[in-house]
Amino acid sequence: MDNDLRINFMWHLIWDYRGELIQGLWTAVAVSITALFLSLFIGLVFALAKMSRFAFFRGLSTIYVNIFRGIPALVSVIWVYFGWSLLFGRNFTVYQAGVIALTLLYSAFFSEIFRSALQAIHKGQREAGMALGMTRIRIFRSIIMPQGLKIAIPNIGSMYIGMIKDTSTFAVIGLAEVVRVTQTINSQYFQPFVLYTAAALLYVAIAFLVDYIFKGFESTITYPSNGILYRFLTRKKRAHIQKLVDANS
Amino acid sequence: MTGSNTIISLRQIKKSFASTEVLHGIDLDVHAGSHTVIFGPSGSGKSTVLRTMNLLEKPNSGSICFENREYGPGLDSAKLERGKPLELRRRVGMVFQQFNLFPHFSAIDNIAIPLATVTGISKSDARERGAIELKKVGLLPWAASYPSQLSGGQQQRVAIARALSIDPILMLFDEPTSALDPELVGEVLAVMRSLAESGMTMVVVTHEMNFAKEIGDQHIFMEAGNIVATGDANFFDNCENERARQFIGSVL
Repeated sequence: MDNDLRINFMWHLIWDYRGELIQGLWTAVAVSITALFLSLFIGLVFALAKMSRFAFFRGLSTIYVNIFRGIPALVSVIWVYFGWSLLFGRNFTVYQAGVIALTLLYSAFFSEIFRSALQAIHKGQREAGMALGMTRIRIFRSIIMPQGLKIAIPNIGSMYIGMIKDTSTFAVIGLAEVVRVTQTINSQYFQPFVLYTAAALLYVAIAFLVDYIFKGFESTITYPSNGILYRFLTRKKRAHIQKLVDANS
Repeated sequence: MTGSNTIISLRQIKKSFASTEVLHGIDLDVHAGSHTVIFGPSGSGKSTVLRTMNLLEKPNSGSICFENREYGPGLDSAKLERGKPLELRRRVGMVFQQFNLFPHFSAIDNIAIPLATVTGISKSDARERGAIELKKVGLLPWAASYPSQLSGGQQQRVAIARALSIDPILMLFDEPTSALDPELVGEVLAVMRSLAESGMTMVVVTHEMNFAKEIGDQHIFMEAGNIVATGDANFFDNCENERARQFIGSVL
């Protein structure tokens, strides 16, 4: 047996435990995607509160954002998993605790992203909608929000990559995500270089994939867009416009 | 003067931004089919008067009467039912200096989507109406183009078509050619001219004095938040107000 640990890299472990590692990655993605949707919704609510004409809502939003933006994910998840259990007298699953912890933090970030995106829309857009007799809600839905979303999407993508990476800290409460799985395998074989290289590559791969998906969203809602998805989604509309042009000219 | 053919009348309109009063009590009647031109130096309050007419600016005091409804803070003497801003805006079209087209909609959808949401007709019907309006301003071939693909003059013509799609009985123009390159002004004025000839009631804030002279039958000269001179179609030839004459002389 070779006693030199440096050259004894058991790269086959990655292949042997591929199922467990992929399962870990899937858990990380599932927790972070659930938290992403919740954070987007809650973040939007706090962004609107921040732009409210009522000082109470603005204050509430400011306090929320400043508190949760500043808490590290590790602290947040321990606080929720162990702390909230005492507070509410019920136990959360590690999955639930992970989702709640991430949502608390990232809804604060998304609130700021949405606020700055919505405020970047020129006030003439709102005025044009008002002058046409559109209601406030319609103006927000059809005019302000779609344009704001376009500005926000690249930032949402970057934030989501951060969310996936933050799930690595949930190993501490026993969530079987990538790092927890890696730790478990490593405790049997002591192959930290091999196993954490695999873990790192998984995070990098998923970051590339997320970036690719968000670039796709971005090109879809760019106007005018040449994105394939855009062309597919708007094919009926474009045919209808062409028909009207032909019929009237 | 609130005769039966008065479309909109402003009474004692005062407006302040922060602690600065920018309108000091404006009285103005616009009659059906008339073409009112408001002009004057920068900061005189002409755009604010126009924006008060569709309540984009809420006056601090005074009354706006439109179709037997009263808007604004109101005056006791009006004795009219109160109206909701939405009701007024759905009868009044407005064209902005910066066009304010929606960049995420094609030219035809700039017309169709607001029209569909405001009137409740289907998007498909609204697009048919959009095609008709675009044709009137000569832009039907550009129906699927986005604002970023259109010239300033084309964008403003789409904006006019959009405003007309809601079948307004009054059209407001807030310096519609001020943001345009000089060679593009003509095409927008041509659209406005044919609209005026069709009998549309128009209120125009503009620095295009030749155009004002040509279409205007009620001229309003404003300075420092007051209407200082008014006149009919012959205003430019026999204006008696010293300041207005100076201003006209410096611009024409």
